Order: sequence, then structure tokens, then C-alpha cells
Amino acid sequence: MIRSRRIALALLLPGLALLVGGVVAPSLVMLLSPPRVETGEVLDRLGRMLSDPYDLEIIWRTLRVGLVVTAICVLLGFPTAYLLARSRSRWAGPLLALAIFPLLLSNVVRTYGWLVVLGSNGVVGRAITALGISDEAPQLLYTELAVVLGLVQLFLPLAIVTCYSAVAQVDAGLDDAARGLGAGRTRTMWSVVIPLSMPGIAMAATLVFAGAVTAYTTPYLLGGSRQRMLSTQLYSYSGVTLDWAAASATAIVMTVLVLLVYVASTLASRKGQIR
Amino acid sequence: MKRRSPVAAALAVLGYIVMIVPILFVVATAFTDGETLRFPPEGFSTRWFEEATSYQPFTDALVSSLQLAALSTAVALAVGIPATLAIMRGRLPGKSLVEGLFLSPLVLPELVVGLALFQQLMLQMKLDNFQALLIGHTALLLPYTVRVTGASLVLADPALEEAARGLGASPLRTFFAVTLPVLRPGIISAALLSFVTSFNNVPISLLLQSRDFRTLPVTMLDYVQQNYTPIIAAMSTLLLAGTVVLALVAERVLGFARIFGGINR
Repeated sequence: MIRSRRIALALLLPGLALLVGGVVAPSLVMLLSPPRVETGEVLDRLGRMLSDPYDLEIIWRTLRVGLVVTAICVLLGFPTAYLLARSRSRWAGPLLALAIFPLLLSNVVRTYGWLVVLGSNGVVGRAITALGISDEAPQLLYTELAVVLGLVQLFLPLAIVTCYSAVAQVDAGLDDAARGLGAGRTRTMWSVVIPLSMPGIAMAATLVFAGAVTAYTTPYLLGGSRQRMLSTQLYSYSGVTLDWAAASATAIVMTVLVLLVYVASTLASRKGQIR
Repeated sequence: MKRRSPVAAALAVLGYIVMIVPILFVVATAFTDGETLRFPPEGFSTRWFEEATSYQPFTDALVSSLQLAALSTAVALAVGIPATLAIMRGRLPGKSLVEGLFLSPLVLPELVVGLALFQQLMLQMKLDNFQALLIGHTALLLPYTVRVTGASLVLADPALEEAARGLGASPLRTFFAVTLPVLRPGIISAALLSFVTSFNNVPISLLLQSRDFRTLPVTMLDYVQQNYTPIIAAMSTLLLAGTVVLALVAERVLGFARIFGGINR
């Protein structure tokens, strides 16, 4: 125990200063009153954004892609985590490592793979023309499908790791008990394993959604300017056209979207604990 | 488990295909002898690896990225470990507020933080972009540092520290002789995790780039948009190889799943 409050504060101070000065304060200033922008212009721009069909399409696309990616990551990630956590095979360890490994690898490298797969001279296009399905390779890059695939690849390891920790905490004896009492495989899954792993599944969904709606590399490389999302739009305002009122307005929409999901997930997990 | 569910197994296989197969195609195309990115590759050669390793923007950016990752990891540990001690062992007013603040870099979108630092630190305060990058990256790493070292501090019995103090050890000596050895795995985990996170970061590095100091992922991203040559495939394969080496080192030191997945098997 650190008895003196003064020493505790002294230990904390550098970290606090870095977070307040290096994250929280600059972000608040940027969101509310960026430099070289007159007061009220950000809110004005935000109002116009929320009534402009082009901007609304970007917001809606970001939301839609986020939701689809989250659903797919949970749908693929939970079963994978379940099998890995319950398996006694000697392959379970290496397979778990293989699922975690992409987390260490640069997003640029991982997303670049889809250019090779989906590009005009890529794997899928060449296969389609070679098999004679179509004379011309279909346009796969710069579509919403490409962005969704890229983001699923990016966030699936996170979903697996988060679900794995949840499933591993559920006593495997409960599965056996349910099966022993006559429940089928499907019923055991839906009435025992999934409800007990729910906090982990919800956490995985939150992390994936927040990551998917703020990711930059993947929408930039696979969506391009045809599939603008909030993140690519934010960068184009802040790094290319230097329209800082619009950049702040876009940043506000993005931040609110992410904060809402975190708040909802925190409230839901609290409710779950009380029950 | 006695019988595996075929549906779950099918979904898992699909998941692995999506996660891994695109990376394998990158490696395959890197060894092409042709001029363009296509599959199947034309011929076999290592010429694009020679191109990648002799292309100066990439080698400069690699050095920049390594420097930034090493330095921000070191600063994040130097600032984060004392903060972890204060949060977990001290009696602090407004503890939940402090904990919330330490999570803030995880909750705020990184592009938002990047733009904020560009405006406030580089334009308003006239810091150069390396200083701004160091602040941004260090702040981004702090939550990981605090959480990971905190998790190993939970395992340390405070009674041992009290005993050392009771036997006359100074607070500093108690820290180095009793607390630090327990924290060691946490510190190693936090360091590896931080290094990888900083090295791979795009949003903050993108907004805080300058002509003199650019990180490798940002340089590669820029290159991909302008050229369609397999040089990026070669560079990606080299990064993949480096990452595999790091993962193997992590596995030997402490256990790979434990460090990067937070999983104890």
C-alpha cells in the first residue's frame, strides 16, 4: 500500500498529464472549436451534414458496414472460440495461436492481401474468366463487399480472443450435464453455452463494431473514393481539403457513434450483473 | 467434447480462410518475376525483395518506425508503471475518473486523436512531428501498459510489500526487490504489445506525418495507391517474416497466447 496520498499522486501525475494534454484536451478542442474556424461553424456544418443526402449515405454506409462486420465476426468467431476452448486436441494450441497471430500483423499487410485476391488481375477475377463463367472479371474492389471482407479479416481475431476468454470461463461440466439430462447439441448450445458466454459475446461485438466504424486503412484501400466511410471522409477533410469545420463535424458523428455503443454495452453488462 | 458440431466446425474453417488465405496470396505474389500484381504469379524470382530492401523511402521509414515504436514503448512503460502502482496500491480521490481517463485513448477514435494532435501540438504549439508522434503513440499505449502490468500486480500479495517495509526496507528498495520481480512478466508483455501496437499504427501516424519522418505503414499505404507493382507484396512478406520471429520470441519468453491474446492455457 502506498500510504501517502501525495506520493500516489506524484506517481500518477506524468500519466495524467500525458492523457489530459495528449488526448482528452486536444480532442475536445478539435471536436468543439478547431483552430481557424469561427464559433458555431462546426455545429452549423454538423446540422448540414445530418440533412445532406450524400453525407447521410456515408453515415448510413459506415453504420451498415459496422453492423454487418460485427454480425459476421460474432457468427464466425464464437464457434471458433468454442471449439478451441473445448477441444482437447493437440492442434488446439497451434490453431489458437494462428487465430491470434494476425493481431500482430500490420493492417496494411493484411488488407493488401485482398488487393491480390479481389484485384482485376487477382485470384477471384482470373478464376472466373479461366472457368469461363464470365468473359470479364467482375469489379470486386472498391465495393462494399470488399470493405466488409477486409474488416472481417481484420477484426475476427479480436472476436475469437474475446469469446475464447468467455467460453473458457464457462465450466465444461455444464455442457456435459445438459447433454446428460437429454438436451441435444443444439439445445445445449443455445440454452447453456451461449447465455453463459453472453458478456464475452457482447464485449466482442462492442470492440468489433467500434473498430469497424473507425478503421481507416481497410476502407481506404478496399473502398476507395467510391465507398466513402466516415473515416476516409474525415481524412479527406483533414488531410486533403483542410476543411476543418467539416472534419470536426465528421469526427463528432464518429465519436458519438462509438461512445453510444460503449455506453450501451456498459449498461447492458451492468444490468446482466444485477440479474 | 465427444462429437464436434459440424456447423460450428464449418464456421470456424470459414473464419480461418478469411483470416489467413489473403496473407498467403501476398507471399505467393511477392516471388513473381513479372511487373504487375497478378495471380498466379509469372515465374519465380526474388527481384522484388531486392527492390523493396533497396528502395530508400521504405528503409528510411522502417528505421523511423522502429525508433518511434521503441521510444514510445519505453516512455509508456516509464510513465505507465508508476501510474499502475498509484491506481492499484494508492488511496486516490476520484479513482473511477482516473481509471476512465486511462481508458480514453481506447474509446476515442484514433483518427480523431490524430487530427486533434496535428491541430493542437503541431500547428498551435509548433512541436515538430516526431514530438507530436511520440506524445500520440505514448498516450495510445498507456491503457495497454496499465492494464497488462495491473493484471500481474493483482497477483502480487501486498502483504509481502508490507513485510519488506516492516523489516526496514525503503519504499524504493521494496519496489525493486519485491514488487518489480512480480511485475516482470507483465512488463515484458506490455512492452511487446506496445511495440507492435505503435509499429503498426496507421491513423495517428498518418495525420502526424512529415516529409522527414514517416512511418513504414503510412509510406506503404501511400505507395499502394500510386503503384501496382509487387514491391509492396515483397515488403509485406518481409514484415510478415519479422512478425513471425517476434511471435516465436514471445512464445519462448512468456507464451504467445498469454501476451497477445490475454489467454492462459
